[in-house]
Amino acid sequence: MKKPPDLLPLTPPVFHILLALADEERHGYGIMQDVARQTNDALQLGPGTLYGCLKRMLAAGLVEESEERPDLELDDERRRYYRMTALGRMTVRAEASRLAAAVSAAKVKLGLAGGK
Amino acid sequence: MNDSISIRVACRLYTAMLFAYPREFRLRYGVEMQQFFRERCRELARERAGGGVWFRFGVRNLTDWILSTVRERRVPKLVQEWAVTILLFLFVTTTMVQAYVVPTGSMEGNILVGDHMLVDKVGFENGGSNWSSYVLPHRDVKRGDIIAFRYPEDIRQTFVKRVIGLPGDRIRLENKQVIRNGQKLDEPYAQYTTSDIDDYRDNFPTAPDFYTLGGGRTMFSHNVQNGEVIVPPDTLFVLGDNRDNSLDSRYWGFVPSNYLVGKPLVIYWSFDAPTSDYVDWNLRHVEDVALHFFSKTRWDRMLTRPKSQAAK
Repeated sequence: MKKPPDLLPLTPPVFHILLALADEERHGYGIMQDVARQTNDALQLGPGTLYGCLKRMLAAGLVEESEERPDLELDDERRRYYRMTALGRMTVRAEASRLAAAVSAAKVKLGLAGGK
Repeated sequence: MNDSISIRVACRLYTAMLFAYPREFRLRYGVEMQQFFRERCRELARERAGGGVWFRFGVRNLTDWILSTVRERRVPKLVQEWAVTILLFLFVTTTMVQAYVVPTGSMEGNILVGDHMLVDKVGFENGGSNWSSYVLPHRDVKRGDIIAFRYPEDIRQTFVKRVIGLPGDRIRLENKQVIRNGQKLDEPYAQYTTSDIDDYRDNFPTAPDFYTLGGGRTMFSHNVQNGEVIVPPDTLFVLGDNRDNSLDSRYWGFVPSNYLVGKPLVIYWSFDAPTSDYVDWNLRHVEDVALHFFSKTRWDRMLTRPKSQAAK
């Protein structure tokens, strides 16, 4: 199994998909909606991109398939749900702290450090 | 849930588009992707989204489809990089320019047999489709313009001639001399190969009933007044520069303005070979090109532009 550092940096879609699954398991459409919320609609995943990413994330062991069940808010149709694995959680944490480090370095260099 | 017809059609279309993905991917994720797509359509419908939102949704899905297909199919990097170039090339060659080889010497003097040229299809306002006239610079056809157009008697053929008469113009020829609206034209571009006078050709339109192509007959029965042809609305009267050997408006009538293809843009290659080689493709011509490419190419004509020129 791959270790998180091998997978970094994550592409923006992968990073946000993992974030979307951090609090609960979701189906594809739910992931897209949550990613749009996270990014203020800046990142709107299309079906091809989303399922392409999920395929690779499944292969890398970042997410796993959960059961198939209907979404009570949507309709009676059964949908496949996805959930984050322990490796996925480690990876998204590692990516978040990598980004945080990058952002604080940028703040220092650009003099953006919140009025200090 | 009852979906509107447009949503159902869109979903059908999307289902068809899924066949672009590799089989394995489609079998595993196809159903989920269809659900995803349908859900998005329903959400937009619930929000009563306007045309702009639907348009962006369409464009975004198309982009997503192309990019993810390329990704899932593992199209080699080289092809990916060329794809845009190829698509652009196809777009340009189908809507903006057309390649054309001049098969006959009817414009001899300015355009020779074997001139390979690109025809600009969007430069004139009436050049077929009109969407471009909103976006790109264009102008109306003027007298003296060289134009490419579909031959009215057989629209599979493209002809190149010079515009002599616009709608409303009165045209006649007197001993080869063109007289337009009562004025003799001084035509530096015209070329004559014989001093013989053929009444039909050189004293047009005083000797009818000689030529019997459909358009020509219609012209003689409807558009001749007092020994002059009057160009009807939305048509053009064209003549070849090689006046004595040109099958032009004198014989088959007017060019409807929606038959206009465009104007010659540039001669990209000119190869000296007889008319027969350009009318019927033959192996001998290929051999001729291969053997005499350097000696028979008219290098001085390459990248020149057939000039539109107004008569004085």
